[in-house]
Amino acid sequence: MLAFILRRLLIIIPMALLVVSVTWGLIRMAPGSFYSEERALPPAVEANIREKYGLDKPIYQQYFMMLANVVRGDFGTSLRYQDQTVNEIIFRHLPYSATVGLLAYLLALVIGLAAGVMAALRQNSAFDYGSMAGAMLGLSVPNFVLGPLLVIVFSLWLFWLPPARWGGVSNLILPVLTLAAIYTAYIARLTRAGMLEIMRSDYIRTARAKGLDEKTVLLKHAMRGGIVPVLSFTGPALASLLAGTVVVEKVFAIPGLGNIFIQSVLNRDEPLTLGIVAFLSILIMVFNLLVDISYGFLDPRIRYD
Amino acid sequence: MAFVGNSQFRAILAIVAFASFAVSCTSSAAGRYYGKTEAPSDNVLRYVSGSEPESLDPAIPTGQPEARLLMAIHDGLVEYHPKTMKPIPAIAESWEISPDVSEYIFHLRKNAVFSNGDPIKAQDFVYSFQRALAPEFLAKNAYLAYYIKYAEAFNSKKSFVRRADGSFVLRRELDAGGQTPEVSTEVFGQQTEFGKVLSGPERLTVPGDEKARAALFETDEKLRAIAANTEFVPVTGSDMGVEAIDDYTLRIKLRQSAPFFIDLLSHQFFKVVHQGAIEKHGPQWVRPENIVTSGAFKVKEHYPYDRIVLEKDPRYWDADAVRLDGIEFYPLEEATTMMNLYKAGSLDAVYNAVPPAAWIDTLKEYKDEYMDHPAVTLQYYTFNVTRPPMDNAKVRQAFALAIDREAIATYRKTTKPTIDFTPIGIFPEYEEVRDRIYTRELAKQGRTLEEWKARMFDPERARELLAEAGYPVVQSGSGWASPNFPVADVEILYNTSESNKAIAEFIQAQWRQNLGITVALKNMEWKTFLNVRKELDYRGIGRAGWVGDYMDPFTFLKLFYTKENDSSTGWYDPKYDVLVNAANRELDPIKRFEILAEAEFYVMDQQPVMPFMTDSTNWMKKPFVRGMYPNPQTLHPWKFVYIEQDPEKWDKNAANIMTDRDESVLSHVERLMQTQTERTAMRSQPVPAPETSDE
Repeated sequence: MLAFILRRLLIIIPMALLVVSVTWGLIRMAPGSFYSEERALPPAVEANIREKYGLDKPIYQQYFMMLANVVRGDFGTSLRYQDQTVNEIIFRHLPYSATVGLLAYLLALVIGLAAGVMAALRQNSAFDYGSMAGAMLGLSVPNFVLGPLLVIVFSLWLFWLPPARWGGVSNLILPVLTLAAIYTAYIARLTRAGMLEIMRSDYIRTARAKGLDEKTVLLKHAMRGGIVPVLSFTGPALASLLAGTVVVEKVFAIPGLGNIFIQSVLNRDEPLTLGIVAFLSILIMVFNLLVDISYGFLDPRIRYD
Repeated sequence: MAFVGNSQFRAILAIVAFASFAVSCTSSAAGRYYGKTEAPSDNVLRYVSGSEPESLDPAIPTGQPEARLLMAIHDGLVEYHPKTMKPIPAIAESWEISPDVSEYIFHLRKNAVFSNGDPIKAQDFVYSFQRALAPEFLAKNAYLAYYIKYAEAFNSKKSFVRRADGSFVLRRELDAGGQTPEVSTEVFGQQTEFGKVLSGPERLTVPGDEKARAALFETDEKLRAIAANTEFVPVTGSDMGVEAIDDYTLRIKLRQSAPFFIDLLSHQFFKVVHQGAIEKHGPQWVRPENIVTSGAFKVKEHYPYDRIVLEKDPRYWDADAVRLDGIEFYPLEEATTMMNLYKAGSLDAVYNAVPPAAWIDTLKEYKDEYMDHPAVTLQYYTFNVTRPPMDNAKVRQAFALAIDREAIATYRKTTKPTIDFTPIGIFPEYEEVRDRIYTRELAKQGRTLEEWKARMFDPERARELLAEAGYPVVQSGSGWASPNFPVADVEILYNTSESNKAIAEFIQAQWRQNLGITVALKNMEWKTFLNVRKELDYRGIGRAGWVGDYMDPFTFLKLFYTKENDSSTGWYDPKYDVLVNAANRELDPIKRFEILAEAEFYVMDQQPVMPFMTDSTNWMKKPFVRGMYPNPQTLHPWKFVYIEQDPEKWDKNAANIMTDRDESVLSHVERLMQTQTERTAMRSQPVPAPETSDE
């Protein structure tokens, strides 16, 4: 088990460097630069800028300079916000995304699991059809439609909730609901499928045959296996949720990492883009690792060697 | 200044706009005001700063939304008039201008202080200008100050050329043909040692970098001969034409006559900054805990991407007249989000160009809030004159004639049709002169002003011109066809945005309909697009927009000035430069406009660009926000803005907002103008006094 974790942790480093390198290549391939504007800069100003940021050096040299910085975990200063370092920006805005993401996922988990289990237990009942139809709707309505619809109803018709911006709890309700919708739907469907499969398996029949009451069968035996698919989904989902979701953050003007990531690309703010990409890739890999580890606790059939 | 329509990411949110639009239509009849309308009781205005400001350092950002924020916290020599945008006194209570308009003397008020209480002196302006122009500071706006003598040389790391006897090689020793003419060498105002040096004949500057210099000498024999046995002395900030004559008198010497320079000084780039704070904290001086400001408001909080909270600075020299207690700026980018916040009553105004086109008919019904006034902007297409078929002026003229500008304006809703390069309704005096000069110039060609103005849309003439250029247009079915035309060599290149696409499609259809030519459309992401257009790497036609930097026609006409111009067309003509130089040397404003009009006629007759519309302002403010006007650049000097609690006194019918008199604002402006009016009366210099008139 320990060897497995160590091996996986070691792979994260070259993987992250690879992701950063590819991203760097893509940024460099995109024409234009952080200093291009509607008005062409005087050549002298442009030359000064290129000199300061080492853009006049050979491309391989620039690559290794970048890589050396990344290995040291120092992404330097943002090109656009010259008074702020990349690390500072990432850790300042992560909490916004993480708050919305975590709340949305918790909500999705509670509703999704409950609905999924209920639907599985009462397969082909009205509840089953109803909740699965709801889930289908949740999956098919994109959040850039759902968000504005909620805004229209709750902010512009009823004037109950603020339509956007960070602030108190009331500002959180709409973005969390918008974001939770699709995850609730996924979790409900995954739980239902997982539970249906498990409820028909031999060991559940054994448990029932032992004379255990239905509650114990369900909570102690079935649930553990039934939510494994949800768990596989949770790793990457949670990682991307914590790191910010571009559309919801845009619609609700949340100062989260997703919003900043997009802006950094549009601004050609190379250090910031690379910093966020590196951070996200590591985050996703770590979450996947955590999920892989937790399989062992839920499903005794899984072994690490 | 970047063009206002540069909004990205719209594609994804098109549906958002549509959905919200549906609602805005259904609820339009709800009442007199758009959404929740309650004057904030805390006397704090809530406004938008656009995307997160690049910096709170006035010398760094170039965007217009940022300009609006920076105006609140930094003060300069002069300030914009809230309606006309002409310069009114700020830290300089008055100024004098030399007879050839190449030197300005500013008299600073003695009670101006920074937010930490330090007095603001002439030396602070010298420091601010030198810092902003230092090459290592990398200011993208540095070009604004290039009119100051040796500012460009300093900013681009150039060197003077000094002979063994200590004298400097002068610019006029080289053949000065086609260059900007030299200005008066007489010291204006108080005589000082530095003033004499500054006013001396302009020195020659050569690249400071050895390689670049060698390359230049390689091509210029005369220069090489002059530079033999000399040494190269780098131009420094202290060589620049900015001098503190004493603590409260500042001299600015220009390298050329520039009557518009005083208009330019209201720009954020020329605001004063605090040397101590900057030297102590470096780039971090702009953080709320470090920043020292000079404006009517100071920074209280700054949460990046969320809000910037300003509060009134009680130490500000004009604090008694500042009426808001604070301003909150929200860095929002999505137009729909901003409009939603506005409707929900969480924003008191949105900035220019925010309301999406599909909403405008509905929003215009809110007459007390919607601002539809002329803006100092221009939208046009560029022709790549370096490549066929657009190297032929007749082809360019044909394309320009074959679009129905009225129809575009009707369709776009927030624009007015145009054919000339200076926008309509912004420079009324110039427009009057222009009509006269155009009539004169056209008479020389046997044409009339009416014919010229018919260029708004003249498909008949367009087809004739195209035929003359060798591409006959023939009847084909119910339409037209131009079988010879190399249609593969022409496409419309535009930066990705819904509105640019809509316009490009419209124009594409016009050409298909009127010339029988179907050009391709090509869109590119903003920064890629800029690069391609600048390098003339596009086929035929490119989209362009321009926002004036200051209130003078030259802010547009300079786009074709000099060989390295910003027109992105490849067009250059020395004759145009000669006209522009002559105009800017001219003291009399009317005579100056006459020559500028001649220059405009000259370039528009050759049609390197195809103007088709100017924008109207397109924004909203709650009726209780007063003293905030739809001026041509929609830049608002915040100290004149206030929140009116009494609904009886709220703004009514925004159509008249520019002509209605708000006595409280006007008397404030007049009081500020007084010192300058007295100064001009005292020494009747032949200089146009800034407009104080309100009408």
